Amino acid sequence: MKVLIRRGFNALDSLFSKAFTPAWNPMYQLGAMSFFYFWIVAATGVYLFIFFETSISGAHASMEYISVEQWYLAGIMRSFHRYASAAMGICVTLHLLREYARDRYSGVRWFSWVSGIPLLWLLFASAIGGYWLVWDVQAQYIAITTAQWFDWLPIMVDPMASNFLNEATLSDRFFSLLVFLHIGIPLSLLLGMFIHIKRISGARTNPAKGLAAGTLLAMLAVSLWQPALSQAPANLDVAVTEIGLDWIFLNPYPLISSWGPGQTWALLVGLSCFLTILPWLPSRREQQTPVAVVDPENCNGCGWCLADCPYEAVTMKEHDYKKGHQQSVVDPNLCISCGICAGACPSSSPFRHVDELTTGISIPGFHIKELLSLTENKLSELGTDEPRIMVYGCDHGSVVDSMASNSVASISMPCTALVPPAFIDYVLRKELAEGVMISGCCEGDCHYRLGNEWMDQRFSKERMPILRTRVPRDKVRIRWLGEQGTKQLGLEVKEFQAHLLENVQADVQLDLVKIAEASNG
Amino acid sequence: MDKAVHYLAQALMYALFFVPLVYISHLPTHHHMDDDVAVLKVAIRHPGKIIGECTSVIAGEGHGMRPAAMQRVTEICPRERSPLQLELIIDGETLYHATIPATGLHSDGISSMYQQFTVPTGPHHLQLRMNDDVAVDGYTWQLDQDIELQPAQVMVANFKEGFRLQ
Ligand code: HEM
Ligand code: SF4
Ligand code: SF4
Repeated sequence: MKVLIRRGFNALDSLFSKAFTPAWNPMYQLGAMSFFYFWIVAATGVYLFIFFETSISGAHASMEYISVEQWYLAGIMRSFHRYASAAMGICVTLHLLREYARDRYSGVRWFSWVSGIPLLWLLFASAIGGYWLVWDVQAQYIAITTAQWFDWLPIMVDPMASNFLNEATLSDRFFSLLVFLHIGIPLSLLLGMFIHIKRISGARTNPAKGLAAGTLLAMLAVSLWQPALSQAPANLDVAVTEIGLDWIFLNPYPLISSWGPGQTWALLVGLSCFLTILPWLPSRREQQTPVAVVDPENCNGCGWCLADCPYEAVTMKEHDYKKGHQQSVVDPNLCISCGICAGACPSSSPFRHVDELTTGISIPGFHIKELLSLTENKLSELGTDEPRIMVYGCDHGSVVDSMASNSVASISMPCTALVPPAFIDYVLRKELAEGVMISGCCEGDCHYRLGNEWMDQRFSKERMPILRTRVPRDKVRIRWLGEQGTKQLGLEVKEFQAHLLENVQADVQLDLVKIAEASNG
Repeated sequence: MDKAVHYLAQALMYALFFVPLVYISHLPTHHHMDDDVAVLKVAIRHPGKIIGECTSVIAGEGHGMRPAAMQRVTEICPRERSPLQLELIIDGETLYHATIPATGLHSDGISSMYQQFTVPTGPHHLQLRMNDDVAVDGYTWQLDQDIELQPAQVMVANFKEGFRLQ
């Protein structure tokens, strides 16, 4: 099942990347899109509230004013309010499925996963409350069915249903409570959203500008084409028979009447509990390897690892024994063992004159000295008929193991950002290989959130440690193609070799010309 | 040109996202109830009779005070209320029969219930009976009435010093 969902996402990712480019791909920023839609709903909600009549007798008429008389502004706001909520519902659901399918919910990620579950309830409660306030026949259906649902709970002293008996006994009291809840619940949702991303450094809460602009335009078009309207006004003296229903947020409601309130509670609470314990259920996904370890002897306190850790696991403290210096510390409860910090540490340089390479911070599961010995050993086994390529890849992106050949060496690790730029310099300077290919997850969709972004920035010298200027850029390639791009990467490695061969031949020719010129002169 | 194709593709993707979204936000319609039935809602909020009687205690005797003060009477009253026995019979068939306990820690609050029934449209004979006093055998309140229910009509039976149909 997980594999199926993952394949589905792979297909969607590729499709969206083609149309939107990876930087704008909404699939890579579903959390940020959810935030974006939330802000739209919040802003339009404030405007709608100005015209909304908070009484049960005036509510429907005031919504008619909004949609009919002031269609050009309040009406459009209303459509934005409704469709952004619906879009948020869909984005959040996709976000959940995606984190699940990509195995991004266990280990230290449990906090984000578990704190996401109450957000689902709050989001649904916010949306249902909104539909209730319109007080049309759908709202009447919501009122009666919610009452039936809650009255099943033994905690209800006075049946909620007695608030909605008929027109004669209807009062504003309960309605005022609803208005209050429709402000309070979304505020709790917002608070919950901030708690949700608390353990993530630099969480992406804003989508790419182009995507945001496109979304607003699309919503404007939709709002003009199909403005959000009310259904017929509620009349409690006439039972609800057939109504239009929002199937995104009200999908549990038909269950309540056809299946029973108790069963619906069991299903939804059961599902939430299941989701809550999911990160700890046994599964075939990889187990977390030991967390990063700091070696104070090799730490100079520069803080680069802190700047690059995607999970806020690194902090700085006073050095264990070097007075006036700092050193990094890893919180084992937050570290996800990605190794990105090892790639950031200036001590991870193979040029250092030491017997055995050590560094300031590294993960025991894939120590930097292992990266060095693997690199040297694998490259020394290659033939020299063709340009030799070192392919660095990660365990979550394009599968590089299968690419190894007589002229290609490949190493897979938790995250390619574990490779310090100095390694690339080293491989080329020592002529261990003619080219280095860096691969990994899709651009913008790093399994450890920021790996490929940091790598790009180190190469473009925007981020420490940089790839030094002396490294010839045509001998290094970065291709973020993801798992689904494995085949493509294989082709690109071949193409890279051909390109290097051309260069070599050109160089040889140049040399020959020089030699000829020298002998002539 | 290339850019135009890109934007066109994006427009298509936005449409593929929003058009279905707009539709499922109100369609297909949901069939909640058939047209040829009506709804009878029974909602009773009523305190049962207190179980037992008050006993008087005369306080402040023989302390040399004035007679008026001496004769202050304190009553000790039980607080527990009778549960309600409620029965609904339509065309001779019992649809509902239940005991509704008084609320509150000491069973001293009101009894409160809500139930709804779907009933075919047309003429019916409706009977509601209630006992609110454990000291009395049989029913203390009754309603017998012929009714005619219209399609999708909501009829409410509640209680205020006697059963009432609305
Ligand atoms: C209102 C609803 C939600 C919003 C606005 C939201 C937003 C976000 C954002 C902005 C991130 C950070 C993304 C990044 O920068 O890498 C995130 C991460 C995450 N979310 Fe949500 N989320 C919501 C609901 C949920 C739900 C329902 C679940 C699952 C039960 C969930 C699971 C996760 C997980 C596991 C991560 C961590 C991903 C990682 O560490 O790589 N979220 N969310
Ligand atoms: S291994 Fe990853 S999560 Fe752990 S400290 Fe290093 S960068 Fe942070
Ligand atoms: S990057 Fe290395 S040297 Fe700098 S603080 Fe972290 S462990 Fe220490």
